[in-house]
Amino acid sequence: MLTELLQGIEAGGFLVIQDSCSYSGRHLLKSFINAALNRAEVVHVLGFDVSEEELKDGLRTSDTQRLHIHSAYTDPLGWTERPAFTVHQFRLEDLTDLVKQTPHPKPATLIIDSLSWILRHVTPPAVCKTLHQLRKGGAVRAVIGLLHADMHQRGTVGSVCHLATSLIAVAPGAKGDEAVAKITKRSKFRKVMQDEEIFSLNGDFTVTIHSKRSNPEQNWNDAEEEQVDPTAELTFNLRLSDSELEAKKKLMLPFVFSKEKKKALLHSGPGSGRILYEPDANDDYDQEDPDDDLDV
Amino acid sequence: MFTELNSILNASPDSFTQGEFILVSDRQSDASFLIHHFLSFYLRARCRVCFLGLVQSFCHYNAVGQRLGVSLTQAKEKGQLIFLEGLKESLSILIPHENNTEHQAMNFLRDPAVGLRSLYEFVRSGLTGSGSSEEGAEEWGPPVLLVDDLSVLLSLGVGTGAVLDFSHYCRATACSQLQGNMVMLVRCNGDEEEDGDEGSEWLLKGLSHQCSLALHVQGLPTGYCKDIHGQVEVCWRMRQGDGQHTQKKLFQYKVHDKGASFFARGTSSAVL
Repeated sequence: MLTELLQGIEAGGFLVIQDSCSYSGRHLLKSFINAALNRAEVVHVLGFDVSEEELKDGLRTSDTQRLHIHSAYTDPLGWTERPAFTVHQFRLEDLTDLVKQTPHPKPATLIIDSLSWILRHVTPPAVCKTLHQLRKGGAVRAVIGLLHADMHQRGTVGSVCHLATSLIAVAPGAKGDEAVAKITKRSKFRKVMQDEEIFSLNGDFTVTIHSKRSNPEQNWNDAEEEQVDPTAELTFNLRLSDSELEAKKKLMLPFVFSKEKKKALLHSGPGSGRILYEPDANDDYDQEDPDDDLDV
Repeated sequence: MFTELNSILNASPDSFTQGEFILVSDRQSDASFLIHHFLSFYLRARCRVCFLGLVQSFCHYNAVGQRLGVSLTQAKEKGQLIFLEGLKESLSILIPHENNTEHQAMNFLRDPAVGLRSLYEFVRSGLTGSGSSEEGAEEWGPPVLLVDDLSVLLSLGVGTGAVLDFSHYCRATACSQLQGNMVMLVRCNGDEEEDGDEGSEWLLKGLSHQCSLALHVQGLPTGYCKDIHGQVEVCWRMRQGDGQHTQKKLFQYKVHDKGASFFARGTSSAVL
């Protein structure tokens, strides 16, 4: 499914790449940018998290005509005299103006790096509204955003991802440069497809899929069947023969109370000691048996 | 400067990666020995250092620096070191005198909601330095910003978002624009339960996303040991080129009077 997504997002689509501290989703984001440039699409990038040089590193920058980077990295809050683009300009009107600055016949793909920066300064409802309007607006064909899932409350992450038509959550894989991608795709007819794939990124940001873990339950069953029999290959015998099994079942455990045992313990037989008690003047001697109501 | 740490980080005062944001963090431990290391390292590398010493006095850093072989007083006189003594500056904000020109850097103490913009302005002027240098002023290397530490700003009432914005702007200036380095210390309690957007744990996550090298100091998971003071996890977040994975290595350390030694797990001299 990852390859399908890389080959193109449908018009009006919104893809969210969720990452965390342990694995950065920016490289996968660059793969999507490269894939879009390869398809001769116009790409506008809103850069908040990292500098323009770092964003451009590895991208196909030979197509400067079709790749436009709007860097809000140096001054996202307008602390200097002339900020290039501030976080408060993340609104439909400003974004549409930004995209229309560079006239192209085709509608552009908007890349947002990252949504987390915007969510820290603009309220989640406003961000969701802008994203929704962008999708429906028509100035932008598709939107791809990077979201650091561990930087927000679960509700915020959930709200933004609910708007998405596709969601890729990346996490580090078992081996060094492999990563696991959990993909959720919502089609137009409300059908939800989920998949989990192991992938790695090459030097030029192309993606290599290693394996598909489409059925995680299968792995679990296999693991059960592969359980090793511990009594095999020992130098001593741990197994029981049939007669030994019988004897084991018949064995009475020492502290399990059966009726006979209880009687024998509670009512002392002949020859065992008896207790003679002469109450004192100060004693409160009650003739009743205090243990009468016990069901022993 | 700790020679073993230099070889682990593959850096020396003569050659080190520029444009790096080094995040030093600790959880229920004390990672300030690493700040002293980086301070002496960059002073030895003849870099222009802007140090925001918010938690200790200048004399303290000077005393430790002398044990590591650098003199902060001399560096300050020569103009190599710009030092913001947070403790002293905060007094001048809280108890203003008429003839005492306020240092605007710490004015967030009066109103934490204002944010850290003035502190950033101070850092920017410290890093870019005076444009017209006097005759005979020495040429220093790339600028370096050191902060000890960021979590105290949270205790002083500054919002976590404001601290993240501050570190973003400092990184944009120090690392990207001036091709210098930045070292920041964040301290966590370890007992904060959060699924939210406040607190030192969240600050640590936000900074981890921004940094290129993270050094996380913790106590030993097995408990207290006289000969091993804790463990350091070094995490390189590779940003470009081959191998987009993050590389992590774990070391144990012991702090001495004049330095610290780092060794692989289980190879402490007390054990072998």
